Amino acid sequence: MEMIADKFSIVQSLWPFLLKGLWITFQISIISILCGSLIGFALGIGKTLGIYVLEKFINAYLHVLRGSPYLVQLYIIYFVLPSLGIAWLSFDSYTAAIVSLSLYTSSYVTEIVASAIIAVPNGQSEAARSVGMSKTQTYRTVIIPQALKLTIPPMASVYVIVIKSTAVLSVIGIAELTRQGEVAIMRMPGDIMFIYMLIAFFYFLYCYPVLRFSRWAEGRFGQLGDGH
Amino acid sequence: MEWLQNYFNFRIVGQYADVFVAGVGQTLWISALCLILSLIIGTFLALARMSKNPMIWRPVAGYIQFIRSTPLLIQIYIVYYGLPALLPRGYGDFFDETQTGIIALTIHTAPYMGEIIRAGIESVNRGQIEGALSVGMTPQQTLVNVTLPQAIANVMPPLLGQTAVLIKDTSLLSIIAVFELMGAGLQMFSETVIATESYVTTAVCYLGIYAMMLVLSGIVQKKLGGSAWKSN
Repeated sequence: MEMIADKFSIVQSLWPFLLKGLWITFQISIISILCGSLIGFALGIGKTLGIYVLEKFINAYLHVLRGSPYLVQLYIIYFVLPSLGIAWLSFDSYTAAIVSLSLYTSSYVTEIVASAIIAVPNGQSEAARSVGMSKTQTYRTVIIPQALKLTIPPMASVYVIVIKSTAVLSVIGIAELTRQGEVAIMRMPGDIMFIYMLIAFFYFLYCYPVLRFSRWAEGRFGQLGDGH
Repeated sequence: MEWLQNYFNFRIVGQYADVFVAGVGQTLWISALCLILSLIIGTFLALARMSKNPMIWRPVAGYIQFIRSTPLLIQIYIVYYGLPALLPRGYGDFFDETQTGIIALTIHTAPYMGEIIRAGIESVNRGQIEGALSVGMTPQQTLVNVTLPQAIANVMPPLLGQTAVLIKDTSLLSIIAVFELMGAGLQMFSETVIATESYVTTAVCYLGIYAMMLVLSGIVQKKLGGSAWKSN
């Protein structure tokens, strides 16, 4: 009984800090997924336009972002870009976090949007073209609305990846959930395990509903062919 | 070449070449070991997850959900601080950082591998299993000789994708002071305090490993040609 009361008092004293950390995690993940989706959406459409140079360029961008760990990308954006001496590339830690996470997210979104556009049957665009729509009109009114529906389930899993990646931001000192936990451990070094389990529980509360939504959406909107 | 040195001092990188080679080696063997371990554990997780007995599949499903919805960094911390407490008194430092890192990464990767293998097992034609059973194979023989080989061949693309993720995930082990590629970059940075050369070299090494993986998956694609390749 005494142990439970003890743990309860820990939870009580840490509650405001962890909640503040969760709020920062929430903020960064929402901003990053929005910016990343915008970039990824543009690049995803660009990839399907059939322009050879553009396609190769986007593929190179994807390979660079997919081939290196997020931690390395974060270090490069936070430590290397300022040393180039260009003023607007010297980010503070918060901006660096959002920029790196947006770029990282965009690599996933690009692939999803591109494969969703490809998954729309060819007959749809052929029919639209044959009734006299221009290429832009075809994209805007026929292909993209159908493709967007297919992107919903994989986008939810990307959102979970983004949330989980924000934990890495603690290494550049952003006061998000993991960092708040580390600070709490400095104050109460005796309860390391309990505090980390508590943080894990917070992340679980945030991610699990999104994962459930992704599975529900798969049944509702259909599954994209490849294993996202 | 003088102009290039203003941006990227390759002479300093040359001095640290052996550190980076050692880092690449560490990253490769750590990921190889984690891959083998998590494939074995993942197969068992997949079978347990497909069990009809709720006492077996419910805990496994809970474990998979927990791993999938918490960050790897937190899992590494939990293993790093929790593992010594689980060991008997006096053996608290039985595993060094590298071994702890491998255990944490295996615990993280096994459920992902398990879910992929489960999809593979479910994709195997029922007739194959029924056929194997009807010619007198035991269920174990059927699993090892008929179901699993086809299952693994069918899900080779996502397995290779997950392996690429695993290689990238080893970079997080640098946070618990495991020496690998990221650790090599951090070591160079802490000794020379030049960010560009340290981190860009690290990134280039990771991209090299990734390029190798792409070539490898191309070869595997040609050799196996399972059904899942057709959709890609």
